[in-house]
Amino acid sequence: MSSKGKDKDEKLDEKTQVNKWDGSAVKNALDDAVRDVLVKKLNYMENFRLVDGRLWICSIAVGIAMLALLWDFLYPFPVSRPILLLCVSVYFVMMGILTLYTSYLEKGIFAVAVQQDPAGIDPEVMWEASSSMKRFDDIYSLTLVSKKGKNGSPKSATFEKSVANFFDTEGNLLQDLLEPEVLRLHSNIQSGKKEK
Amino acid sequence: MDSLFDDLKRMNKRQFLYQVLSFGMIVSSALMIWKGLMVVTGSESPIVVVLSGSMEPAFHRGDLLFLTNYDQDPIRVGEIVVFKVEGRDIPIVHRVLKLHERENGTVKFLTKGDNNSVDDRGLYAPGQLWLTKKDIVGRARGLLPYVGMVTIYMNEYPKVKYMLLAGLAGYVLIHRE
Repeated sequence: MSSKGKDKDEKLDEKTQVNKWDGSAVKNALDDAVRDVLVKKLNYMENFRLVDGRLWICSIAVGIAMLALLWDFLYPFPVSRPILLLCVSVYFVMMGILTLYTSYLEKGIFAVAVQQDPAGIDPEVMWEASSSMKRFDDIYSLTLVSKKGKNGSPKSATFEKSVANFFDTEGNLLQDLLEPEVLRLHSNIQSGKKEK
Repeated sequence: MDSLFDDLKRMNKRQFLYQVLSFGMIVSSALMIWKGLMVVTGSESPIVVVLSGSMEPAFHRGDLLFLTNYDQDPIRVGEIVVFKVEGRDIPIVHRVLKLHERENGTVKFLTKGDNNSVDDRGLYAPGQLWLTKKDIVGRARGLLPYVGMVTIYMNEYPKVKYMLLAGLAGYVLIHRE
């Protein structure tokens, strides 16, 4: 139920407007805004390894299907049977791998950014942002995890807030309300939770 | 309508690539299921739609048929087979009337629709009096009544088919997760 008349007025670069009743659009908008905080405000470098992994698995699966299609087209059915059998099996195996990848490796992580020490002395810190929002629920839960170098123990902080805190009645995302929350999590991790 | 494309406009390259791949995976999954059925049943077209009333009262126009095509299951007189005449793409579902078999395994069939008054020689290619194994797509093994009418309507009104497919494709590409 986003107001359609106002769309043209609000076509500024930074304005994000979503249908406030669409749970997944709201979550995606929030995720994007959090990513912006990490990359644009804090100037960390985004690391795409996780997303690229998923894209590769999908590309390979689609490639295998296209290969099967092409082979069957060039060598009509009874001849192509063994190749088809191979392609179909590999395809479903890739689907299984994809499911495992998204459930266990990605786990709701939508942004990974690297904080590099300008002096070049400290090892770089890797930040992972993951979020979850239950279906038909309005509570958005954001978790930031930071890992120092390769062996550092992960430190994490979470907040759970209703999405009503970040959107106005038109469905506009108010970055000014989200940013301080994210930065608060960030400074909690950086300073507050030192090993004592 | 503008709000439909909002999600799309806000996507970066990787997210867009994922949308395209998601669409690709839906198409690929359907394709792989179909090819998988082909492999399992041994038939080049494991599911066919009955197009005419020539097999009434057993099969009606719009029924969905499941086929298998195993070499170990030889076709006998009285069984219902689906065949394609060389040069024509339309699968025909009729019953085997006569059968000649040689010791080396080559077979010749003559078919006829239950509801037809003459055998199928009029349907075969000019000069062809018998069907061979390679003309046979498979034997009918299972039936789902009425479901095939959807396919028949969509082939009669191709615009509906294209609009439906375009709509589905558009929805998957534009809508995010």
